[in-house]
Amino acid sequence: MTVSALTRPGERDRLIVKFAEIDWLFCLVLCLIAGAGALMMFSIAGSNWQPWAASHLFKFGLFFVMMVVLAMIDLRVWFALAYPIYWLGMILLVAVAVVGDVRLGAQRWLSFGPLGSFQPSEIMKLGIVLALARFYHGISAEDAKFSWWLLIPAVMIGAPVLLVAHQPDLGTAILIAATGLAVVVLAGLSWRVIAAGVLAAAVAIPPAVMFVLHDYQRKRIFTFLSPENDPSGSGYHILQSKIALGSGGLLGKGYGLGSQSQLNFLPEKQTDFIFATLAEEFGFIGCASVLFLYGALIFMALRTASVAHSHFGRLAAAGTTATFALYVLINGAMVMGLAPVVGVPMPLLSYGGTVMMTVMIGWGLVQSVRVHRYSEVTSGKGAFL
Amino acid sequence: MSEPSIFFTEVNEKQGVFHRRTFLMGGLAGIGLAALGGQLAHLQLVEAQRYQKLSASNQFNYRLVPPPRGLIVDRTGVVLATNRPNFRLLVAREEDNDPATILKSLANFVPLDDARQARLIRDIDRAPKRVPVSVMEDMTWEQFSAINVRAPELPGVTADMGEVRVYPHGGAFAHVIGYVAKVNREDMTPTGPNAEPIMLHPGFRIGRQGVEKAFDLDLRGRPGAQKVEVDAKGHEVRQDSGGDIAAVPGKQIQLSLDADIQTRALEVFGEESGAAVMMDCRTGDVLCLVSAPSFDANSFVRGLSGAEYRALSDYERKPLFNKALTATYPPGSTFKTMVALAALEAGVDPAQTCYCGGAWPYGGRIWHCDKSHGTVDMHQAIVTSCDIFFYQTALKIGPDLIAATARKFGLGETFDIGISGQKPGLIPDRAYKRRAFKKDPAWHPGETPSMGIGQGYVNVNALQLCVMVARLANAEKALRPRLVRSIGGVLQPAGDAAGDLPVNREHLQFVRNAMAAVTSEGTAAATAQLGLGDVKMAGKTGTAQAHTYREGERTSKSLAWDRKDHAWFVAFAPYDDPRYALSVLVEHGGFGAAAAAPRAREIMRVALLKDPEIRARIEKPTPMPDIPDVVTDGAAPPDPTPAPPGTPT
Repeated sequence: MTVSALTRPGERDRLIVKFAEIDWLFCLVLCLIAGAGALMMFSIAGSNWQPWAASHLFKFGLFFVMMVVLAMIDLRVWFALAYPIYWLGMILLVAVAVVGDVRLGAQRWLSFGPLGSFQPSEIMKLGIVLALARFYHGISAEDAKFSWWLLIPAVMIGAPVLLVAHQPDLGTAILIAATGLAVVVLAGLSWRVIAAGVLAAAVAIPPAVMFVLHDYQRKRIFTFLSPENDPSGSGYHILQSKIALGSGGLLGKGYGLGSQSQLNFLPEKQTDFIFATLAEEFGFIGCASVLFLYGALIFMALRTASVAHSHFGRLAAAGTTATFALYVLINGAMVMGLAPVVGVPMPLLSYGGTVMMTVMIGWGLVQSVRVHRYSEVTSGKGAFL
Repeated sequence: MSEPSIFFTEVNEKQGVFHRRTFLMGGLAGIGLAALGGQLAHLQLVEAQRYQKLSASNQFNYRLVPPPRGLIVDRTGVVLATNRPNFRLLVAREEDNDPATILKSLANFVPLDDARQARLIRDIDRAPKRVPVSVMEDMTWEQFSAINVRAPELPGVTADMGEVRVYPHGGAFAHVIGYVAKVNREDMTPTGPNAEPIMLHPGFRIGRQGVEKAFDLDLRGRPGAQKVEVDAKGHEVRQDSGGDIAAVPGKQIQLSLDADIQTRALEVFGEESGAAVMMDCRTGDVLCLVSAPSFDANSFVRGLSGAEYRALSDYERKPLFNKALTATYPPGSTFKTMVALAALEAGVDPAQTCYCGGAWPYGGRIWHCDKSHGTVDMHQAIVTSCDIFFYQTALKIGPDLIAATARKFGLGETFDIGISGQKPGLIPDRAYKRRAFKKDPAWHPGETPSMGIGQGYVNVNALQLCVMVARLANAEKALRPRLVRSIGGVLQPAGDAAGDLPVNREHLQFVRNAMAAVTSEGTAAATAQLGLGDVKMAGKTGTAQAHTYREGERTSKSLAWDRKDHAWFVAFAPYDDPRYALSVLVEHGGFGAAAAAPRAREIMRVALLKDPEIRARIEKPTPMPDIPDVVTDGAAPPDPTPAPPGTPT
């Protein structure tokens, strides 16, 4: 296939061409990370495919196919669906606040009878990126810098964040807020406004911690600040995780030989703390390799974002990448004792279908942006539908 | 599209900002990842050793192994206390088990009735988590293996092999050696050896009485440890035998006691209540220290039921009580040896006589003797145990001199024999009276005569009387008793290291001659014959009132058991070359000569027959009579091969 062939009108709409345009190196890295996750799950289950490893690989395969399918979807379809998805997310968030199931003390789940149940906040992680990308697509660079128009993204971010925080699910609320703010910044928010915002946050966070947060949330933060004070209570998770990491050393204890994970000292070893399991059995070498793979994913995704012709595509891809990067950084910091335990998994490495689905849909969007990077998306000022 | 230039500027500006900001974001993500990498390097490369240690202390636990308790042996090495294997069933409380269900399923294999289950559930709940509680001891092999096979389905249950203390001689040594028992909450101290975690081990026993208690720390040894891998809930995953630390067994304690003498001594008491103490009167070693009746110390190890314990503690002859040390009695006439010696030391002429008419009025009352002895001198008075002579002698020299002599012989004293429980008794004098009787501090002359016959305030224990005889027999040294010969092979100071006996040897010899006469012609002539040829025993009888006789009451024969007189006999043998000193008390036994002397004779015989030198002396073949060498003319020449002696011709 020659360059001239791709310039032929209609050529890029052929499915086979689109398929070839997918970043297959990126896909290989995805498979490597998911494979590393399955490897660790096999180890901590005592060399068993059950209960996690097989299911993890199966889900990944399913979502991988879904990602490829989503990558085929024209960017204009994504554009058209941006606001509907956001509104659907909002409606479901309101619904969950009214009729949602209470599980583990939080109202996060919406039950669909025999179809199972899911957390609407997951839709919002994607919805907020799409809606903001569409919004900024329609306004000028000058307006994106600082204007009255910016009240709209402020409400678009604020409303779902408050609803999710009310559930209460502070981790997801922070993640949605951070993703939204990342898009706002990427779109070109004035540095002065950013500086003022950072200052305001610095002033507002300590009183918020004292008066707004729930007890368990506050406890997590204090525990994070001094885990050694209470090694068998709430500090247990952080301490055991650090022990697992540190005792791995340079080369690790060997596959299947991590005493912290195999003997259950490590909490949530197959989900939130799977990175510590990896660290214990494969040491610094293993961890650094996996971190490198994550860095490569983020780099490739941002490169995709930067080559897109449409502003919507750019922002959507970069915003999705920002969410992913936040997942990685927050989980990494938590496992290493640099952040409080907030229940954010390591994407693709950790066991769990919901987050993997969100992440893979996001990568589907990013690949769609790549496949359709030369597409122009019609401009239109901020109609909400 | 109508204003392409503006459109392009607009797009380019948006794109330019986006590119700069994306580059920045990528940089931030890179910095974030690098920071994670830095923290990883810090944890995994710099602090790796510290965390490896923490990880190992998570992974491995040491399970304490109680050390084998030290043996207790007699002077010849006969084992008096040892350990035997014991299959034991233990249950511990854990996060995910329910003691009630577990005990119910255990009841299918071992007998556990509902009441016992209820008590065990309480014990298990009260014990710290994962500290096992003993559910059954001494299981059969079948029970042990049946439970071991099912152990995986019974969380918190272990069946293991421990050791249990055994006292092969049953009751004979119960008072001296004591026994071991489970550790109580009161035994635990915040610091010191009783704070050690081994105290919580269900197989660990603590000394409760006697030697077991006094030398508990020596006998205990040092616990070993078994390295085991555990999971986060503390369940054992596997054993790591390479990391085990061997237990150090407790020290062996050798007593000076002799198992044969001790056992025979308890035997001769039969159903009677009393005590017997024997000492080697050259070294001070205590060869026998018996209190009768006794109890089986093994039953205390296994744990007594309330009813069993009450039966022992309520019995009027008090088997739990060590009558050789803890009980004091008036010494009765055995004290006359001291009074006589005190008189000799005070310069009283032993040839002075006194008339005994069976009764003697003094101080407004009549003082009785058991019969009318006629005119007696000091020797006769000891031999016939004439009270009236000693009433008067005591009056002559006064209480202070008697007390001083008695104290030289160990009366009123407690000795360091290692075990506790000695009561000092009382040797009264004027100072005592002043001290103890604030209202009536003066010593009245009327109190002296009863002291002369070992009554009144005078109170001694059996060990003291034995020390008295041993010193009389030794005649050189103020011997001290030694009960513990060696601890872990280290010899303890012998009793003959004591100072000299500050008494005139001739006076001592006088008393000893009189004591020899007691058994040959005196009060104990009929009952104190050893039957060992020329090896004879010297002694002194004593009959001590246990209560004040009422008007007209002269003997205690017809009284209830607990009002009868105490019978004493003190002795040493052989009287020409003393080796063994002995005191025998028969509580409420009546006459000393009748109740105590025959028992003393039996105990003494065992000791003498066991002594190889004495045995050689007894078994010495009678020398061949000198057959005169009569040679008659014409007679046949003597047989060239004479028949060996004893061959019938």
